[in-house]
Amino acid sequence: MELTGLSTDQAPPISAPLRFFLTAPIFAILAGILILLSDSATLFSRYSIDSIIITHAMTIGFLGFVMLGALMQMLPVLAGVKIYKVETITLYSHIMLVFGVLFMIYGLYFSAPSINLLATIFLVIGFLILLIPMLIALRGANNFTPTVKAINVSLIFAVISIIIGGYLLFGYASGTVSSTHLILANIHSVWAVFGFVGILIIGVAFQVIPMFYVAPRFKQFCKQRVVHIISAGLLVWAFLNIFYPEYAYIAKTWISLFFFAFTSAVWVKLNNRRRPTSDVTVWYWRISSIFMSIGFFAWIFNSYLDDQYTVIISVIIGGGFFLSIMIGMLYKIIPFLVWFHLNSRGYMSIPTMNEMTNKKISILQFILYLFSIIGFIFSYFYPSILVYSALSFILSMVLLQYNIIKPVLVYVKTIKTKPDFDMSAFNMKVE
Amino acid sequence: MSTIKEYLTTDHRHCDELFASMEEVASTSLQAAKEITEKFIDASERHFQMEERVMFAEFEQKTGMTQGPTAMMRQEHEQMRGLLKQLLDAIEENNKDKFFGTTETLMILLQQHNMKEEQMLYTMAQQHLSAESDRIVEMMDSMIVE
Repeated sequence: MELTGLSTDQAPPISAPLRFFLTAPIFAILAGILILLSDSATLFSRYSIDSIIITHAMTIGFLGFVMLGALMQMLPVLAGVKIYKVETITLYSHIMLVFGVLFMIYGLYFSAPSINLLATIFLVIGFLILLIPMLIALRGANNFTPTVKAINVSLIFAVISIIIGGYLLFGYASGTVSSTHLILANIHSVWAVFGFVGILIIGVAFQVIPMFYVAPRFKQFCKQRVVHIISAGLLVWAFLNIFYPEYAYIAKTWISLFFFAFTSAVWVKLNNRRRPTSDVTVWYWRISSIFMSIGFFAWIFNSYLDDQYTVIISVIIGGGFFLSIMIGMLYKIIPFLVWFHLNSRGYMSIPTMNEMTNKKISILQFILYLFSIIGFIFSYFYPSILVYSALSFILSMVLLQYNIIKPVLVYVKTIKTKPDFDMSAFNMKVE
Repeated sequence: MSTIKEYLTTDHRHCDELFASMEEVASTSLQAAKEITEKFIDASERHFQMEERVMFAEFEQKTGMTQGPTAMMRQEHEQMRGLLKQLLDAIEENNKDKFFGTTETLMILLQQHNMKEEQMLYTMAQQHLSAESDRIVEMMDSMIVE
C-alpha cells in the first residue's frame, strides 16, 4: 500500500493557492469595467462577442482561478494525495492562464486572429498542466470517499469542457466557425458550469458543511448517488441537444431537480447546524441556495421561451449561485492559510482569523454584491440600471480584493519582522 | 467492539458536539462558558493522548514510520493545544472577540485535521493494526490522561 498518504511537506506552499486567489478579484473588476463599456442590448444577446468576453473574464478569471487555488489546497486534505511538483506547475499554469484570459479578451474584442490563437494555446495548456496532474494524483487516493469521487468526476468534465472551449476559440483564430459551433458551445458551457463547478461544489459541501458548521451529515443516498445521477443527466442532455434538441428539456429538468434537492439539503443542514455563528459566509451559502433554486427553474422554463433569457439565467446561476459560494469561501480560506502557515513556522502571537479581515467591509461587500446581481437581472427589463449595477459590482470586488489582501499583508509583515519567535507551543500541555 | 477507525471517529464527533455547546453558551456569556470550555479542552486532550500515546505509538512501531503522517498529526495537535490555551485566556480576559476569533481558527484547523485522520490515517491504521484492533481500542478506552 502507498504509505506516502500524509507527510509534513504535503501541503502546498502558501504561494501556490494565494497566487490564484489574489488574481481572481482583479478579473472580476475587469469584467465589471467591460460591462460598463458595453450596453444592455448587446450584453443580453448570448452570442454577442461582448457577452462571451465578459462571461469568460468571470468564469475563467474569477471562478476558475478560485477553484484551482482551492483544489490545490483541498486535494491533500480531502483525498490525501500530493500533486506532482505543485509549486512549479502552479507558477507556470497561473502565468499562462492570466495571459490566456487577457489575450482572449483582447483577441475577441479587436478580432485579432493571431492573438486568439495565442489565447487558445495559453488557456488550454494553462488548465491542462494543472488539471491532468490533479487527476493523476487522485488515482493514488487510498480512500475513495463520495467527495473524492465527486472531485474526480468534476475534473473530467473540466478537461472535456476546456478542450471543447479551446476548439471553439480556435474557430475565431482560424476564421472557421463551423456549423457545429453552437452545439459545441452549448455543451461547453453546460458541462463546464454544471459538470465542473456544480459537481465540485456538491462534493466539497458533503464534507465541509457538516464538519465546519457541526451540522447533520448528508444522507448516504445523497452522497452516493447524486453525482452519478447528475453526470448521467449531463450526458443524456448532451445527446439530446445534438440529436433531439426538442427533448433536451427533459434532461434539463432531471439535472435541475437534483441540484435543487442538493441546495434544499444545504438549506436544511444549515438550519440544523449546532454552531450559533452566523457570519458573512453563512449568508453567502444562503443566497447561493436561493439563486440556485430560482436559476434552475428559470433554466427549464427558458426552453419554452425560445431561450431568450439565457443571459439572465447565466447571471442567476453563475453570479448568484457559484460566485457567492466562491466569495464566501475566500473569506475563510485565506485567513486560515495565513494563520496556519505562520503558526506552523512557530509564530504564536498572530491575529486570529477574524481579526485579519475587516468584518464591516465584508458586510458592505456582501450588500453591494447582492445589489449588483439583482440589478444585472433587472437591467434586462430596465437597461438604465445596468450602469449602477456594474459600478456596485466593481466596488464590491475592490472591497473583496482589499479584504483578502489584508491577511496576506499580515503574513508578509510577520515573516519580515519576526515579532516573537517562541517555541513554547511545542512543549506546552493543557492540563 | 468498534474498530480503531470507528472508535476515534466517534470520539471526534463527541468533541465536535462539546465544541458547539461551548460556542452556544459563550455566545450569551463567556464566564458561564468556562466549565464547558474546560470540558471540551479535557475531551480534546484525552483524544490527542489516545492517539499519541497509544494508537500512533502502535502504528509507528508496526510500520517503522516515525516521520510520516503521525509526525504531522502530532505537530497539528501542538498547534491545537496552543489555541485551546488561548480560549481560556480569552475567558480570563472576558474578551469575546478573541474567544470567537480563536474558535473560528480552531474549528478549521480541527476539521481539516479530522478529515486527514478519518479519511487516511485511520484507514491506514485499521489496515496495519487490524489484528490488534480490539486490544488497542481497549487500551485507548482505559487510558488515564497525563
